Amino acid sequence: MRPLTEEETKTLFAKLANYTGSSLNNLIAPLEDGDRYVFRLQRDRVYYVLLSIANLATSIGRDKLLSVGTCLGKFSKTGKFRLHITSLPVLAAHARYKIWIRPNGTMPFLYGGNIVKAHVGRWSDDCPEHQGVVVYDMNDTPLGFGVTARSTGEARKLDPTGVVCFRQADCGEFLRDEDTLFAS
Amino acid sequence: MGVSRTKTVKNKHASNKSGISGSKASKSGPVDGIVKSRKKGPPPSSKPGKGKGLAALMNKKKKKTYTAEELGIPKLNMITPVGVEKPKGKKKGKVFVDDRESMNTILALVQADKEGEIESKMIKARQMEEIREARRVETEKKEQERKARLDETKESLRKKRKRTKADGAPDADEAAVRDAMTAGSKAAKPKKKRVAFA
Repeated sequence: MRPLTEEETKTLFAKLANYTGSSLNNLIAPLEDGDRYVFRLQRDRVYYVLLSIANLATSIGRDKLLSVGTCLGKFSKTGKFRLHITSLPVLAAHARYKIWIRPNGTMPFLYGGNIVKAHVGRWSDDCPEHQGVVVYDMNDTPLGFGVTARSTGEARKLDPTGVVCFRQADCGEFLRDEDTLFAS
Repeated sequence: MGVSRTKTVKNKHASNKSGISGSKASKSGPVDGIVKSRKKGPPPSSKPGKGKGLAALMNKKKKKTYTAEELGIPKLNMITPVGVEKPKGKKKGKVFVDDRESMNTILALVQADKEGEIESKMIKARQMEEIREARRVETEKKEQERKARLDETKESLRKKRKRTKADGAPDADEAAVRDAMTAGSKAAKPKKKRVAFA
């Protein structure tokens, strides 16, 4: 387990900033008790973890340490970063653009489908095309995240079966990808 | 340069004390014991010869030898992989970012980038929307113009017809058209030929 290098930090923040606004600064702000959250790389996965816990975790061998803190995602072999569904609590807390989907659209989304216009309850105004959004149900429960297919203006003219958001990750992955989510 | 002659010594073992009277060594020295001082002149040939040799040596030393890097010759078969090259004076291994300040700097940079990206996307979308709106308005206007022209011609035709009715005597052409309309298509057909036998 090690801290991230400068390049890795940049890649990670660039990915996170797709979904979050300026409040991303709060992620690394120090807590009241003097502790703070840090990013740690274990194998290819990045964990968002309290510094005190990360220090404790050094007593566990690399090959024995399965997971610590919140797994945000993994670095691919080409150096790109891929967010996992486990990062949803972090993203949802700092989301910039949001989509709320109707009850009839939650199940199709949780089974891995894209979001069609007919299933959208409401969404943030002035959202551009190809922008990361966090998906909520109508009770404000985060379900996953995706990328907009159309801007808000264009989506208004779209027919009900038109896709407005491409799914990136959904809560159904906790079951579907159970085997590979924590161990590569 | 003086040419140094080599003496051929027939019997190098023969010396002054050898006792051989005929030998050159015994003849060379004066027998009476008085030695005349020889002229001490500067050795003419040896000194300048030596100096020149030194200069030549110096010249040889001064001759610059160029390395391949200095000449800028492209390296052949000298590809070193990125990971293998080790820059001197640098820290070995990765440089970690773990302090808040540097992380904040990186975050600020990334966020500024993203903001700019989003802003440009929005501006682009707005411009595209404007263009589309303008195009739509233009097509609408054209459509209206066409409609207006059509209405105008319709109106003019109607007025014309009314005027002719008011005159009371429709011209021959119009009468023919009316005839054709009333008669329909059946009237236009020629009569069937009939054959009658007595």
